[in-house]
Amino acid sequence: MIVGRREAWTGRLLLVLLMAVTLMPFLSLFVTALHPSGSYPSGLEWPSDPQWGNFVKAFQAARMIELIKSSVLIVLGVVPLSLLLGTLAGFAIGHLRMAGRNLVFLVFVLGLTLPFEGIITPLYYQVRDMGLLNTRWAIILPLIGLFMPFGVFWMRAHFVNVPEALSESARIDGANVWQLFWRIHVPLAMPALSSLAILLFLWTWNQFLLAIVLVDDPLKRTMSGALGAFQGQWGTDMPLLCAGSLLILTPTLVIFLIFQRRFVTALLQGSLKG
Amino acid sequence: MSRRTRWNGAALAVVMGGTLAAGCGAPGGDAPQPEATGASLAAAPTCGTAPVTLNAYIETGFPLPKELSTEFSKQYPNVKWNIREDQFAVITQNAPRVLADDPPDLMRLPQVSELVKNNLLKNLDGYAKAFGWDSWPASQLEQMRLAPGGKTRGEGSLYAMGLNFSMTGVFYNKKLADKIGMSSPPTTLAELDDAMAKAKSAGITPIAQFNGGATGGLAFPLQDLMASYGPSGPINDWIYQKPGATIDTPSNVQATQHLEKWIKAGYFWKDINAVDYATMMSRFIKGEGLFSFNGDWESGNLDKQMAGNVGFFLMPPVQQGGKQAAMSAPLTYGISSRAKNADCAAFFLNWVATDPKAREIGVKIGGSHPMGPADAPMPEVAEGTVTASTLDAGAKIAQDNGSMDFIANATGAIYAKSWTPQLQKLVAGQQTPEELLKSVQSDYTSQVGGS
Amino acid sequence: MTRPTPDSAVDSPATRPGPAAVTRKRSPARAGGLRTPSRVGWLFVAPALIVYAVFVLRPIVLTVQYSLYRWDGIGPSTWAGLGNYVKVFTDPDLFASILNAVKLIAFFSVIPVVLGLAIASTIRRIAASRLALVARTVLFLPQVIPLVAAGIAWSWLLSSTGLVNQLLGYVGLDGVARAWLGDFSTALPAVGVIGAWVLLGLCTILLLSGMSKIDPSLYEAARMDGANSLREFISITVPSLRQEIGVCVTVTVIAALASFDIVYVSTQGGPGNATMVPGLEIYYLAFSERQVGMASALAVVLMLLVILVALPIQWLTKDRS
Repeated sequence: MIVGRREAWTGRLLLVLLMAVTLMPFLSLFVTALHPSGSYPSGLEWPSDPQWGNFVKAFQAARMIELIKSSVLIVLGVVPLSLLLGTLAGFAIGHLRMAGRNLVFLVFVLGLTLPFEGIITPLYYQVRDMGLLNTRWAIILPLIGLFMPFGVFWMRAHFVNVPEALSESARIDGANVWQLFWRIHVPLAMPALSSLAILLFLWTWNQFLLAIVLVDDPLKRTMSGALGAFQGQWGTDMPLLCAGSLLILTPTLVIFLIFQRRFVTALLQGSLKG
Repeated sequence: MSRRTRWNGAALAVVMGGTLAAGCGAPGGDAPQPEATGASLAAAPTCGTAPVTLNAYIETGFPLPKELSTEFSKQYPNVKWNIREDQFAVITQNAPRVLADDPPDLMRLPQVSELVKNNLLKNLDGYAKAFGWDSWPASQLEQMRLAPGGKTRGEGSLYAMGLNFSMTGVFYNKKLADKIGMSSPPTTLAELDDAMAKAKSAGITPIAQFNGGATGGLAFPLQDLMASYGPSGPINDWIYQKPGATIDTPSNVQATQHLEKWIKAGYFWKDINAVDYATMMSRFIKGEGLFSFNGDWESGNLDKQMAGNVGFFLMPPVQQGGKQAAMSAPLTYGISSRAKNADCAAFFLNWVATDPKAREIGVKIGGSHPMGPADAPMPEVAEGTVTASTLDAGAKIAQDNGSMDFIANATGAIYAKSWTPQLQKLVAGQQTPEELLKSVQSDYTSQVGGS
Repeated sequence: MTRPTPDSAVDSPATRPGPAAVTRKRSPARAGGLRTPSRVGWLFVAPALIVYAVFVLRPIVLTVQYSLYRWDGIGPSTWAGLGNYVKVFTDPDLFASILNAVKLIAFFSVIPVVLGLAIASTIRRIAASRLALVARTVLFLPQVIPLVAAGIAWSWLLSSTGLVNQLLGYVGLDGVARAWLGDFSTALPAVGVIGAWVLLGLCTILLLSGMSKIDPSLYEAARMDGANSLREFISITVPSLRQEIGVCVTVTVIAALASFDIVYVSTQGGPGNATMVPGLEIYYLAFSERQVGMASALAVVLMLLVILVALPIQWLTKDRS
C-alpha cells in the first residue's frame, strides 16, 4: 500500500490547506481588531501594541448584552412554535395520512425553494398593516411561516417511517389521537426534533433580510441584522468593526463548538433530506 | 371517500381563501394627506417642562448633531434623546420608509422633493413665521423650499432646516505643496492642473478622493469642474427640477472630459473605486494625497488631525478672476409629518441657529457657517486655521452668488442609480464623458417625469 | 446558509436506501389512515397551514399582484399590465442583475462541487483520522456564522491593503494586486469567491459522508480490473454520489440565484452595477427607489427562475433505484 500512503499524505496536506483557507478570514478579523481604533492596518500584521480594549469598546458600542437578549427572544419565539406546528402537520401528513394529504404536502413543498427576497415587499406592507413593524414579532411571525415548508417536510419524513403498529396498539389501550401524538410519537421523534431545532435556531439567529427590512432598531433585531447596523454605524472604523464582528459571531460559534456533533449531523441530514 | 374529500377541499379552500383574499383592488391608497399649509402658530413653540424624548435619526461619523443634542439637554434637562445612527447612503435608502412608518422627530435628510411629494415631511412655514426664520438671508433656506406638490425646489414652503450650511472646495496638504513648490493656492484651473502634474512626477498622488461602494465621490471634483467651465445657475436649475433643465450641456461635457483627463493621467489612487469616504480621510490625513475635494464639515477634524498642515481654497475658475462657485448646502434636517414632538424638534432647530453656545459648537465641531440672522454674533475662530479659511470662502461665494446644491441631490435615486455607477465606469474606462451625461440625463428625465 | 430543496417525490420516503435503510412494509389497511377521521388530520395540519398561508402564500399572491401595477409604495397605484415584466427583460441594468446571479453559479456551485469532489476523494482514505475529525469542525465554521460576518471579513481580506494582496506580494505577484471588490473585472468573481468559501466546506463534508457509504468492495473489484484512480473516480465514486451531488448543486445554485447578504455587505452591487444581483435589486427598487411594481416583477421572475433551475436538478439526480 505504498501508493495509499502517498495519497494519504497528499490528503492530509490538502486538508490542512483547506482548513487554513477556511480560518484565514477569522484570523484576519482577529488581528485587525487588535490595531488601534480608527487606523487602517494593512494585511496581516501583528500590532506592536495590541489593543485588547477594542473588544471591550466594541462590546459596549454594539450593546452586546441587549443584542444577545434580543436574538434569544426571537429564537424563543420562532423555534418552539415552528417545531410544534411542523410536528403537528408532519404527523398528520406522514402518519395519520388523511385524505388530501398529497395536495397539502405539495403546497408546503413548493415553498421549500422560495427565496425570501421574493416576498419581502408585500411582507413589509403586511407587517406594517398589522402594526408590528419594529417589533420582534415582525421577524418572528414571518419566519415561522417561512420555516413551515422545511419543518413539515422534515417531520413528515420522520413520521412516514414510524411503524403504524405502534399507534394501533396504543389505540387498543384507549388512547385518543392527541394522547397518541403527545405521549408516544413526540417522545419518539426527539432525535428528528432536536436536529430540526438546531437548524431552525441557526437560520433564525443568522437571518438578515427580514431583520434589516422589518425592524429599524438594531436592538430588536437578530444578531445578523444587528451586525448590519453595526457595520452601518462603525464601518468607518476598521479595527472596531472587526472586533464587533468577532463578538457578534461568537455566540453561534460557542454553541456550535459545544454541540458540534449534533450540528454537523443536523446540517448534513438537513441538506440531504431537503 | 367522496364526502370526506369534499369536506377537506372545503377546509383547504376556507384557509386559503380567507388569507389570500387580499388580492382584490389595487395596492396603496392610505397615503398621508397633505397639510393645507404650515398652520400659523399663535406663539413660538417650546419643549415645555414635561419630560420629552426626541427621536432622532442622524448620520454617523460626524460628531456635530450629538454634541448639539448633549448641550441642548444640558440647557433643557426635560429633553432626552433617542438617537439612531447610520451612514448617509443607508439613510438615503431608508428615508421614505422610515418617515412613513417609523416617524422620527428629527431626521438627517437627503434630497427632499420626493419626500414632500408623498407628504412625509412637515411643512415648517408656521414655525418659520413664529421663530422669524423668514428674516434670515433667503439663500440659507432656498434649497429646502418646495413649490406645492414638491415639483420644483428653491421656492415655496419650507420643509426642512439646516444645522449649519456647508461649503465645499479643495483641501490641500501644505507639506506636500511645499515639496512641489506650490506656495499659494492655484488661482486658475490651469494652475491647478500644473500643480497636479508636478505632484504626479514627484511621486505624490495628486488627488485624494473616494469613489467606492455606493458613494461616487468623484461627483465632488466633477461638479467643481462644471462650475469652473460654466455658470452655476443652470446646474442649480437642474438640481431644482426646473422644467426643461438638462445636465448634458456643452460646458458640462468639457468638465467631464477634464475629469477623465485627470483619471487617465493617473491623478487618483488606482483603487479609487474601492475607497470609501472614511478610507479617503484616513489616507489624506496620513499624507497620501496632495488635494482632496471635500467640504468644510471636515475643517474642525482636519484642524485637529493635521494642525497647521492643511489649507483650503475654492475651486479656481478657468479664467483668472472669474466667478467662483461651490456646492454649499444646509446640513439638512427635517421633521416627519407624523412626528410626535414636532414642536420641540422645531424649537431645537431654532436653538441651533440662535443660541450662542450652539453656534459656537456648530463652528468648532461642525466647521461650517451657522444658520441664522445675518447679524448674529459669529464665534471666534483662530487665525490660520482651515476653519477660518473655509468661513472666509463662504463670504466670497456669497459675493459671487455662486452657491450650488449638490448634483447628487437632484432626485432621490440619481446618486445611487446614476452618478455613482456612471462615475465608477468612467474610472474603469467603460464610459465616455459624453455618454455619461446622456445616461444621467435620461435617468433623470424618467425619474422626474415618471413617478 | 443551507437552504432546503424540494423533493419531488410526494408521499414516498425521502430517506435514501443505503445499507442502513429500513425496509418498510405497507399494509393495505394503512392507505386509509389510522382509522382516524380525516377531519382530525386536518386539525393537526391547520395551524401550520394558516401561518404558512398568512406569511408566505399571501405575500406570494400579493407579489404577483403588485407586479402588475406601478406603485411608489405610498400613494395610489396605476395598472401597468405586463409592462414591468417587459422592463425586467429589456432594461440592461435589471437584466444584467439576473445574468450576474447566473454567473455567480460558477463560483457558488461549480467550484464547491468540483473542488469538493476532488478534495473529498483525496482525503477519503484518511476520513477516519483525527485530523479529518478536526477538519469536519473547522470546515463547518462558515456554515455557522452569519453571511454578513463572512462578507465583512472578506471585504477586508480583498481590500487593496488586505491579506490577499499581501500574500500575492510574497509570491512576487504584486502586479495583479488590486482592490478586488472595487475593480469592474474582478468584483463579481471576488463576490463569488466569498460564496465559494462559505459553501465549499459543506459540500466537501457532504460528499465525504456519501463516500463513506460506498461499498469498498466496488473499489476492490475495480482495482482487480486494473482501473486507475481516475477511472475509479468516474465509474464508481461519481455515480454513487449522485444524490449528494444533487443536493450540493441544488443548495448552492439557490444560494447563488438568491444571494443577498454577501453582496449587500461587500459591494452594495458596485462598482457600477458589476455585482448587482436580483435579490439586492429588489431591495433597492422596493425600499429606496420605491418602484414597488418593478421590484415585484423582478421578484416573480426570481422565484420562477429558482424553481425552474431547482426542479430539473432534483429530477436528474433523484435516486431511481
